Amino acid sequence: MIRTGCFICLIPAWALILPAPAFAIQLHTGNAGIIAHQIGHLFFLFAMVTLMFTINSQGLIRQKGWRQIQLAALFFIFWNLDTLIAHFLDNQIEVVRIETLSITRLAVTTQSDSQLLAVIYYFLKMDHLWCVPAMIFLYIGLDSLLKAQREAQRQAPGGKEAGQ
Amino acid sequence: MTANLPILLVDVLGSVIMVVLGVLSLFKAKSLRDLDPDNVVFLYLIWICAGFTIFAVSRSFSHILRQFLVLTGSGDVWASIGPFTGAVNTITFMLVGTVTLFFNQSWRINEKVLSAKQKHQETSAKLLELNQTLEHKVVERTEKLTSSEHKARRIFEHSLDTIVVTDPAFVIAEINQAGVELTGYRKSDILDNRMGLKDFLAVRSEREKILRLLGTDEYILNEEADFLRADQSLVRVLITGGVDYGAFGCGKTFHFIIKNINDKKQMEQQIAQADKLAALGELSAGVAHEINNPLGIILGYTQLMLKNPGDHEEDLKIIEKHVKNCRIVVSDLLTFARKGSTKMQPIDVCQVVADVIGFLGNHSDFRDVEIRCPEPCSGPLMIFGNEQELAQVIMNLMINACHAVDKKGCIQVETGMDDHGRVKITVKDNGTGIPEKDFSRIFDPFFTTKPVGKGTGLGLSVGYGIIRRYGGDIMVRNRKEKGAAFTVTLPRIEMNSDGRDREEKR
Repeated sequence: MIRTGCFICLIPAWALILPAPAFAIQLHTGNAGIIAHQIGHLFFLFAMVTLMFTINSQGLIRQKGWRQIQLAALFFIFWNLDTLIAHFLDNQIEVVRIETLSITRLAVTTQSDSQLLAVIYYFLKMDHLWCVPAMIFLYIGLDSLLKAQREAQRQAPGGKEAGQ
Repeated sequence: MTANLPILLVDVLGSVIMVVLGVLSLFKAKSLRDLDPDNVVFLYLIWICAGFTIFAVSRSFSHILRQFLVLTGSGDVWASIGPFTGAVNTITFMLVGTVTLFFNQSWRINEKVLSAKQKHQETSAKLLELNQTLEHKVVERTEKLTSSEHKARRIFEHSLDTIVVTDPAFVIAEINQAGVELTGYRKSDILDNRMGLKDFLAVRSEREKILRLLGTDEYILNEEADFLRADQSLVRVLITGGVDYGAFGCGKTFHFIIKNINDKKQMEQQIAQADKLAALGELSAGVAHEINNPLGIILGYTQLMLKNPGDHEEDLKIIEKHVKNCRIVVSDLLTFARKGSTKMQPIDVCQVVADVIGFLGNHSDFRDVEIRCPEPCSGPLMIFGNEQELAQVIMNLMINACHAVDKKGCIQVETGMDDHGRVKITVKDNGTGIPEKDFSRIFDPFFTTKPVGKGTGLGLSVGYGIIRRYGGDIMVRNRKEKGAAFTVTLPRIEMNSDGRDREEKR
């Protein structure tokens, strides 16, 4: 038993005494960050889709609060699509480049001077137009759930109303 | 060149609103959680709102910082910070996404928790209901049990028959008040001295029979026995009993019901005696009637012949004497048979008794006999009858008593009222008493224990006939001390001031 333990301890010691090149460690280029970020957005999008379907499948759609939370998930999906496209254009394939000139002016440069792409990118940059409504729906959804819960507790046996 | 202001405003304002909404949502989720701390979905909402808030803060901070650095010409700084804020943003919405994916599981867990909670509440409600039902039933059963116990106790305590509970060795464990009165012992004496049922069964054969039956059949039904009381007197009883193997941890016991049939037995004997005497009376009356007429003729001719007696005067006188004796016997028989006709009127028993005592006190046979009257009459005790007949009855009783004490003893005559308001005359002696075998015959006509020629055996039977005709009764018993006691009871009448009888008291 002791002999087996000593033998196991010797293995890492042997590895330290006799070092060799570690070819397993891989170098990452600059694109790895944006890819990870995009995967994150995709994952977030997938989670929101799942949330929507779950709310549907559990029959929660009948409750106002959960319907509003479902809408929040829908807006987050749009937000994720917005940001995915925007990051794809400026960070991944780099067909669009934006440069802030002053507080009131900026320059959107497209690879082939496409005005349409510039306009699309300009609106894609205003992604808060998706995520702020999403947060608003989340808030009012929670508020509705809170009200419904209070009402349910009031009507439950032993509740205030039931007690009157 | 493009307008930067819309993007800038949307970016900055949107970032601030995101943070505010994130924090507000977190508070809402917390309020939900506070309402129902056991709800897993509300816990999940706290987590997801916390994720959104972190995401909003991280993202808003990076966006505002970027706008500020770019607009202040510090684009280089942003270039070095941007990757870090981007990474943090990535992590936050990955976190939110991850938390969101657990919604389904959270919901299912919550459903199970709610279901379990519902079942728990239903079970609790059922248990509560069952408990209340059980309590109600316990109260109801306890009331019934108490009532039943009370009834059983009342039956036991107030039964006119003796109820006895014994252990398997027939040692008395419980006895009711009627039993205490029957035995004549105190209840504490019976229980403390561990008296047994066997101690009260006076006759050995009866005791052995009862014990044998209890040993084999474990019950007895209407077994008659003589019951020995504390004063050593015997009472005829009817015993019914059986075994009880007990319940609820009680041991084996025997329960007995003992009925006092002494009075009933005596009454049956009296009825039988009365029936027998009535039959004898009918027979005697028939015989006497048939003999009375020839006797009258014989006596008439004899007395006619005695007017010219001749040589047969002595013989005729003997015939006359014996015919007269026969007529007396026939007269007594008719009196016994209640066929005679006598004048009935209200008479004072006290006066009649006093006259008889006064008369017999001077008789030579009573010279050495002490006649006692412990309680002289305080007032007239009126009955409806014939003075001579009543005097004859009392005289017969006293003469019999005199013979019983062999003309030297004590005769006690008591006159008064019994418990039923009837006139009672008791003649007691301290003589030899009456043998048990003769009790059923002493009122029979011609039954006598005297030597031949000394008595006709009609005294008591004639007395019996007279007293019965008056609606009364005559009873005899042997005294505990010594001798016999004859008790005559007669219905009393009350007299009006004008001397007429008003009411007969029975």
